[in-house]
Amino acid sequence: MTRPVRRLDRVAVESAFRRRDEAGTALAGDADQVAAACHAMAARFHRGGRLLVFGNGAAATDAAHLAVEFIHPVIVGKRALPALSLTNDAAYFSGLAAAGAFVDTFAAQVRLLARPEDIALGISGSGRCANVAAGLVAADQLGLLTVALVGDGTVGDGPDIAAIPAVAHVIRAHSSDPHIVKEVHVTVYHVLWELVHVFLEQPGLLGPAVIRS
Amino acid sequence: MSMEALYPFLYAEQSDVTPLLRAVAESTADKAREIVVLRQQLAGHFADTLIACAQDMADRFAAGGRLFTFGNGGSSSDAQAVAQLFLNPATDGRALPAVSLTNDVAVLTALSNDVGFEVVFARQLAAQGSAVDIAVGLSTSGGSANVLAGFDQAARRGMLTVGFAGYEGGRMAEADTIDHLFVIPSASVHRIQEAQTTTYNVLWELTQLALR
Repeated sequence: MTRPVRRLDRVAVESAFRRRDEAGTALAGDADQVAAACHAMAARFHRGGRLLVFGNGAAATDAAHLAVEFIHPVIVGKRALPALSLTNDAAYFSGLAAAGAFVDTFAAQVRLLARPEDIALGISGSGRCANVAAGLVAADQLGLLTVALVGDGTVGDGPDIAAIPAVAHVIRAHSSDPHIVKEVHVTVYHVLWELVHVFLEQPGLLGPAVIRS
Repeated sequence: MSMEALYPFLYAEQSDVTPLLRAVAESTADKAREIVVLRQQLAGHFADTLIACAQDMADRFAAGGRLFTFGNGGSSSDAQAVAQLFLNPATDGRALPAVSLTNDVAVLTALSNDVGFEVVFARQLAAQGSAVDIAVGLSTSGGSANVLAGFDQAARRGMLTVGFAGYEGGRMAEADTIDHLFVIPSASVHRIQEAQTTTYNVLWELTQLALR
């Protein structure tokens, strides 16, 4: 062993958990924004739209989680909904990045793979990932519904995603700690999945589109 | 009879959505409060195990060990998130070696096709793991056969083993192959995953503290 590790105490554990309370509780205050996003997403699925989801680093793992949530529901009897995470294909993603424009890694995929009736959901813990912002802008230009999950961070190479007019629905985790932001986002996307289905069970409320079984 | 008379809700006006929006918002707020309460319970419940686990993990990393993570479905994305935490810290911390065992689709499909899905993690640990390493497996049910097989193999190789489960822990709670087990006492798979996320984030923080 190279060196002994430091002894830990319960104070460190208790303070770590306590730091989560405020942002977790604040989400309840944003319930109207979450409900509005669920309704808009359900209307897109109802029209035959698909969900394209993207983020960097830890948010890329959230994108994968969100996609599997919709495609393979954990609750028996809920229908499978089409979803795709845009960091799945490491070859394509790294190829786009190596071609010189990392900022274009999600926008290029959106332009190629998306259809106007789809949903683009970008996750950025800092709220300022340039490629997530560019992906949402490209999606909006094609007519997609745009949803962003952001945090209160100030670090990042891009614009403030919450302030971009191209983003129709912004759901914010009220913390600047990237770990706590991720935890709130996990709750948000679980709720998005569950409550999209509540609207899909009331197709009369989703507009005049063809009703799919 | 007309379609509209048979299924009046299909023809409802858009404005009728207001009560449902309100119900959905209320449900969102309930779930937000539910996970806050669950997290608060875990602080005391897990404190001793978290401390012991973080110190053991710090010992392994200090000795040159690597972290291997594994799970299925949503838990595979959590396994990847755990690896990401250690590899590329989002806040101050030492970058530490970690590999998620669902990264390599060629290996996963080769093992599944040639042997069976149950061995996808165990065979990778047999090939890559050594006694100085750490295995972290996640399963909300605690019953995933390939995760349990992964722990068997990791324990056989002398690795430090760390498990995350939910409900009452399932078969993971009965296994003698898991050194530190975190069972989230909830009946909701979603709240279990959210609480697991907090628990592994805190475990990362404590491990970094122990290495400082």
